[in-house]
Amino acid sequence: MSDRVVGGYTIDVDLLYDGERHVWLLILGEGRARVGMDPLGVETMGDVVQMYLQEPGVALNRGAAFGTIEAAKFVGPLTMPVSGTILTNNQAVASDPGLLTRDPFGEGWLIEIEPSDPAEFDLLVRGEEQVVEWFESKVRDYGAKGMLAE
Amino acid sequence: MAAMKTLPLVVPGEVYDPSHVSPDWIRISYASAIALRFKSGRFTRDFEFGGINLLLNYSEGCKSDCAYCGLARTRPGLYEEKSFIRVDWPLVETDEFVRRLKTHEARLTRLCISMVTHGHSYKDTVDITNRIRAAVSTPLSILVAPPTLTRARIEHFKTIGVDMIGVGLDAVTEELFHKLRTDVPAGSLHWEKYWEVINDARDVFGPWKVNAHTLVGLGETDRDLVDLFSRLCERQIFPYLFSFNPEPDSRMGEHAKASLRRWRRIQLAKHLIEMDGLRNDDFGFDARGDLVEIKAPPDLVLRAVASGVPFMTNGCPGPKGEPGCTRPYGSYRPSEPFRDFPFLPTKEDAKGIDLDLALEGLIGLDRHKVGD
Repeated sequence: MSDRVVGGYTIDVDLLYDGERHVWLLILGEGRARVGMDPLGVETMGDVVQMYLQEPGVALNRGAAFGTIEAAKFVGPLTMPVSGTILTNNQAVASDPGLLTRDPFGEGWLIEIEPSDPAEFDLLVRGEEQVVEWFESKVRDYGAKGMLAE
Repeated sequence: MAAMKTLPLVVPGEVYDPSHVSPDWIRISYASAIALRFKSGRFTRDFEFGGINLLLNYSEGCKSDCAYCGLARTRPGLYEEKSFIRVDWPLVETDEFVRRLKTHEARLTRLCISMVTHGHSYKDTVDITNRIRAAVSTPLSILVAPPTLTRARIEHFKTIGVDMIGVGLDAVTEELFHKLRTDVPAGSLHWEKYWEVINDARDVFGPWKVNAHTLVGLGETDRDLVDLFSRLCERQIFPYLFSFNPEPDSRMGEHAKASLRRWRRIQLAKHLIEMDGLRNDDFGFDARGDLVEIKAPPDLVLRAVASGVPFMTNGCPGPKGEPGCTRPYGSYRPSEPFRDFPFLPTKEDAKGIDLDLALEGLIGLDRHKVGD
């Protein structure tokens, strides 16, 4: 794990990121990857109050919803960064969504999956330089849109 | 009609300092906190938002004890831990709030100070109004606490730059008001005083500058609501609709909210009374007082529904007469259907509204052709 502070947020630059949905992917080994949400994605939703995660065994395409997340004034889907089958979901974060804010890359992980098409990894933002550049641009963008506290 | 149950929506609060009280500290709605960038966040749907709501804050809390209110005196928990309208209202420093109003003035549409029943409430409201007025010219309303007011105080609000007065009547009949706000464990309120303030405010501020908040789902009938809407509109006082949304642990925390069908029909009836001049005689009710007929030309009703306007949030207007106070997700969770829309409903929204309304029976479309 390689942490860097980018735009005021500590992020792991070794992970792969869905650049639009702020969902990260950590490849754990052959046929298994962990999915979570990055701190910017979490913060721009507002205070998260409830979360629902799909049950293990469900196969989903990239971009399909593996859950929903509800904040004080927002509700939206959690989407698959790559296609795959859900192996397990994190009941701890489902019952305590505050984990997402407190430890987005650790205890706040969301699901583990078996990816069905490793070629889709190439569609994600990866590599330290690209991740930093992408994340910085998103911080600027969300700041300009008024989604970040000042 | 089916009763609707919802889960509580309470977000974590801040660490509370008992010295952080009005007038130097205030609470602001969560949506306001996002708009003024006190909090990060966004709305599910993308729309312009500039209606800022603030609430006076006291260590002792509100002196009233209304059965349905999150701030009720006897609701369990410390005042600072209580939600109001079911979400956290962040506590902010008044001067910083005013500074941010100035920074974001171009996008602001309406400001509203909500008083609470407390001995310092009037003087603090004046203080805060003066601070705001010295900084921005955005239209400013006060949602008043009648027990704290006299006619002279209402007149003073006008002289310092307040342009509209709201009165949270909430319960629409005297009997219901007594049950929920007068005959309570602590902090009784009085129907007569509320009407005295409505009448004084109407005299002082003039036509369509006063609004009475009415809460749908407290136990009233549709007939009760329509009767009150008619009386208020006759006197050029706006009825503003709110949907009862149970506050967890309040005495009405387990009380079901109004069904969407009932709510949509009440929204429509209120709009027809306010905008098209219908009165209580133009509506038919069954023995229980449920609205079962609108005795108006179907074209008129269909046009109102198609406009989408009846289903938008009731609130004080912005500088150009546009909806100024829109309270997004104020009486429903983001995961629930919009009760009132903080923007003009889209075509897709309109389909849902039509299903909710089931209008055919109400206007006799099953008996007449449109345009007959």
